[in-house]
Amino acid sequence: MSRLISLAKHREIRTVIFLILLFLIVGIVNPDFVTVANIENAVKNSLLYIVLAAGITFVLLTGEIDISVGGILGLSAAVSGMFLRDGGSIFLAILIAIVIGGVIGLINGLGVTKLRISSFIMTLGMLEIARVVQVIYTNGKWVENLPKTFKEISQSSILGINTLGVIVIIAVILIHFFLVNSRKGRYFAAIGDNQDGAVLIGIPVKRYKVFAFVISGICAAVAGLIFASQIGFISTTAGIGIEMTVIAAAVLGGVSLSGGIGSVIGASVGAIIMSSINSALVFLKVPAFWNSAISGLLLILIVVADVLIVRRANKKANKERLNARVLNYQEGA
Amino acid sequence: MGETKRLVKLDHIQKTFNQNKVLKGVSLEINQSEVISIIGGNGAGKSTLMKILTGVYKADEGSIEINGDKLTNYNPSIAHDKGIYLVPQEPLLFPNMTIEQNLTIGFHKKKQEVREAAKKLIEQLGWNFDLSRYAISLSIAEQQQVEIIKGLLRDSKVLILDEPTSSLTFAETESLFKLIEQLKNAGVGIIYITHRLDEVFQISTHAVILRDGKVTLKGKINEFTKEMLIQGLLPMDSEKDGSHSYEKCSVDRMKEEKILRVQDLCGDGFKNISFDVFKGEVVGVAGLLGAGRTEIAEAIYGITQVKSGKVILNGKDITHFRVKETIESGIAYIPEDRFLNGIFSISSISSNMTAQVIKKQKYFIDKQFEKKITDEYVSRLSIKIGSQDDEIRSLSGGNQQKVVIARILSMNPQLIIMDEPTRGIDAAARSDIYNIITQLKEQGYSILLISSDLEEIERISDRIYVIYRGTCNVCLDLEEINATNVMRAAFGTYKGSENYV
Amino acid sequence: MLKKIPKWNLVLFLILIAEMIIFGLMNPRFWNINVLLNSFNDFIGIAIIAFFVTFVIITGGIDISGGAIIGLTSVVVGILSQVAGLNIWVAVFLAIVVGGLCGLLNGILIAYAKVQAMVITLGGMLLYSGVALVLVGVSGASTYEGISGFSQGFINLANGKLFGIPHSVFIFFALLLFAYILLHRTRYGRYIYLTGINQNSAEYSGIDTRKIITSTYVLSGLSAGVAGVILTSYLGSARADFGAEYLMPILTAVVLGGTLITGGKGGVIGTALASIIVGFLKLGLQMGGIQTQYIGLATGLLLIISVAFLGVPEFKSNVKRLVTIKKDRGGKLNA
Repeated sequence: MSRLISLAKHREIRTVIFLILLFLIVGIVNPDFVTVANIENAVKNSLLYIVLAAGITFVLLTGEIDISVGGILGLSAAVSGMFLRDGGSIFLAILIAIVIGGVIGLINGLGVTKLRISSFIMTLGMLEIARVVQVIYTNGKWVENLPKTFKEISQSSILGINTLGVIVIIAVILIHFFLVNSRKGRYFAAIGDNQDGAVLIGIPVKRYKVFAFVISGICAAVAGLIFASQIGFISTTAGIGIEMTVIAAAVLGGVSLSGGIGSVIGASVGAIIMSSINSALVFLKVPAFWNSAISGLLLILIVVADVLIVRRANKKANKERLNARVLNYQEGA
Repeated sequence: MGETKRLVKLDHIQKTFNQNKVLKGVSLEINQSEVISIIGGNGAGKSTLMKILTGVYKADEGSIEINGDKLTNYNPSIAHDKGIYLVPQEPLLFPNMTIEQNLTIGFHKKKQEVREAAKKLIEQLGWNFDLSRYAISLSIAEQQQVEIIKGLLRDSKVLILDEPTSSLTFAETESLFKLIEQLKNAGVGIIYITHRLDEVFQISTHAVILRDGKVTLKGKINEFTKEMLIQGLLPMDSEKDGSHSYEKCSVDRMKEEKILRVQDLCGDGFKNISFDVFKGEVVGVAGLLGAGRTEIAEAIYGITQVKSGKVILNGKDITHFRVKETIESGIAYIPEDRFLNGIFSISSISSNMTAQVIKKQKYFIDKQFEKKITDEYVSRLSIKIGSQDDEIRSLSGGNQQKVVIARILSMNPQLIIMDEPTRGIDAAARSDIYNIITQLKEQGYSILLISSDLEEIERISDRIYVIYRGTCNVCLDLEEINATNVMRAAFGTYKGSENYV
Repeated sequence: MLKKIPKWNLVLFLILIAEMIIFGLMNPRFWNINVLLNSFNDFIGIAIIAFFVTFVIITGGIDISGGAIIGLTSVVVGILSQVAGLNIWVAVFLAIVVGGLCGLLNGILIAYAKVQAMVITLGGMLLYSGVALVLVGVSGASTYEGISGFSQGFINLANGKLFGIPHSVFIFFALLLFAYILLHRTRYGRYIYLTGINQNSAEYSGIDTRKIITSTYVLSGLSAGVAGVILTSYLGSARADFGAEYLMPILTAVVLGGTLITGGKGGVIGTALASIIVGFLKLGLQMGGIQTQYIGLATGLLLIISVAFLGVPEFKSNVKRLVTIKKDRGGKLNA
């Protein structure tokens, strides 16, 4: 029993151990991989994924799913990118992106809660729509020539560490404490854990689900801005397929797709793993085309192992519960 | 004593599910410092009434008044604000949270305060909890205790306890009763739902008896005797028509063949179970909820694993057979929870009925054959249906159950295990099902009847095995069957079994 | 409720007719039967997979790995026949088997290890498309141009015509007939529905639900294999990224076709009609001079609106069902 408890407790820790192992093993083969510069680089490369994964975690905790993040990322990046290119202020550009993300998230949330559309279908449709709107808005052209000041945001550093990286990491930690410790923050996981129970204690389930989608949308928009700032241009295919990587990252980090279990820190570590595999392969001198196969295999292995371990513990607990009722029950009898 | 304040008034509440009228105009009032026991059999409508009071369901008719305000647009959140809290029979904890998180979630107060209050309360109750345990690891009784603490922490004005003692030990029950006494003195109104009449006299100030969605008896507890309560629970004479016409016969066990022999069966939740079922016999399996009866049935049927022992059907060892094989060898099982394990709710009546028998056909589905089977059983069991193609969920509970019975009869089994066949079924359909059972018996089927309904098991079984805490030590023969004996055996106090208590 | 599905099919049929009239008015060339028949080539892959994803969804699961399996089988055909030098039809057979094996892996992990279908097929999607990339990389073929140089016989598989009708039309209807009979006329098909409606009840009725569930993923994988072969033949080259964009249209076809995403209800006729509707929509918009990229807007909206439309009347009865389940479960937990 206590094993199960410690297991559930240390879900995130296991992911962290895995990440450390990844760095150690690759580091043994190629010591260059564990240099400070490379680790910082790894975090920088995964910023985008961390932000997306943190946002999607809210939705996943409530037991729903959000496939539309890639579309929101592309659309918000394109719209505020064009605004910036045409001389708009950075502050307003950020605001525009956030509004776009928030509104799309709101539509997702209302569709799921009011129209009772399965969140998978709702956000899948939204993904497609956001992409098309992006193409229409940009006339199918790439958004280039972003102002230098904007691009510099992603390059600037505080005390030698990437500024955005610091902000994102602090934000993730704050969000983590919000979700774990604050009264309202815990509602998200509670809804996914036991929806009837959530209703019973008076949690406005629908409202919090909408919040989750809005948060996920805003995070996707912020990720879009980071993307634009890091890459410097926005192609029409920006963010294509990223939603699947992000969901995989969150699952890898111990977030359950059935809701109720997981943390943003876990999801962020999962995101770092997903994006580090890429560079790890480079350092291992393995051709990059192995990337997707390895990520997929890893995801399947970890999730299946996880499910089997938990199920075994549950089965054992159930057995114990049944046998506790039996008169004069003795183990092994 | 000053004037007692009226907390809640329910007026002529009606509620219908799937054409099944669960509440037929129930009125109820509760004042400060009252403990009202609500007593009723399965399907009497107790849980539904409470869910209406807590805003989970909306009443079709009738009104709710709390603290003198008539409420429209009532919902669980309002119920909470008004201080109405239900400790559900089925614990609704968050499995992936710790006990402490479960207790503190949804509170407007500071966590620290809540934690302190919780600790104090637990100490007061004399219960033992490690607050950092995850809810998933708690036993049902522990979950129930957590639920009770949750309700108490909320300073509820009206606390509803839905069969709270059903899985508590004696000591735990005693401490709960003390607590109820304290709360009563503090002015809390308590609605106490139970099956156990002794408890009613022990703790309540008022008693209300609910039967078939109606209040049949209501008043102060000191005006009642146990006998009166039982009278209130029993069906009216008019409804009782023909209830004693079920023909019982003690089979001549020297002559008849043994259909089923269970020898020293052990598994999770039971051990050393031995019993026999003869041809053309209804054998009851009695016991309290959670005694392990369903576990035994599921092990015989092949749903769960048998640790040791033997199950022999017609001389053939079927101990480790899987469901598919036990069905083929002639055992049929009607599961306890019809919605969870019995019906295919959004499928048609006919495909529900033929779900097993189509196995006997080759690869293709023969619609004519399905229609024939359905027609046959609809008339044989007098199932009331509109069209065969209607979804089964459009039927009443009794007719749904008949469809499930038809499904297993179409496989022509030798032994039918019925697990709580009349749960959630109205009185008329219930007596239909009893008739079916009696007919089946006459046709030579053997039936193993698992039931918590004392009256039911007493009325239709030829012999009764009583399961007590996973063991089977008592077999009541025809002449020994009566309510007292069954009850005593179920509590482990029947003659010869006292030493097990 | 069984009566309701044909009703939805009728609605789909009317939408199809309306679509044809509208697009025909926009561009009369749309009414040319050859244009319409030829357009089957463009959505045959989607339709084939959608037929069998319908099976998966009826059991209550989901399969998003179909697109990735297309890419994998396409590469397998290419490498086995062009690099390893195997007979093309042997290569085709093996490729379809590979598709089936991918489905088998999905199915076993979902049905026996009881991992969420969404997670497994997401991992599968990454894995299978990843393996395709690896195969291309290892074999040294160009990722971008793919593997080409197939025999005319193979190219003809998709591009050929019989009695002036493209092969893909025949393949479409042959597989539709197969799927229809399997799902709606056999005992196996009935078990699929029963498993999807209530897996517990199905277990208690002696149905081996795990086998049934696994088999639907195998069928889905096989169908993706067939689609991969056909697409390779149609385009004359094998590429790892074939099918990458198929996820959305496949699910649109199934869901618009009236299959409940929660399982237990639906059918392949609806899926077939819906895939034709989506296919013709694309064709019509293209012929109407609308840019290809805009078509996603139409399909995206179609997906959401059709689910909302199908879902709202369903909603009430769903609630009822939930309520009644809860009611009876109250007693169950004591046991």
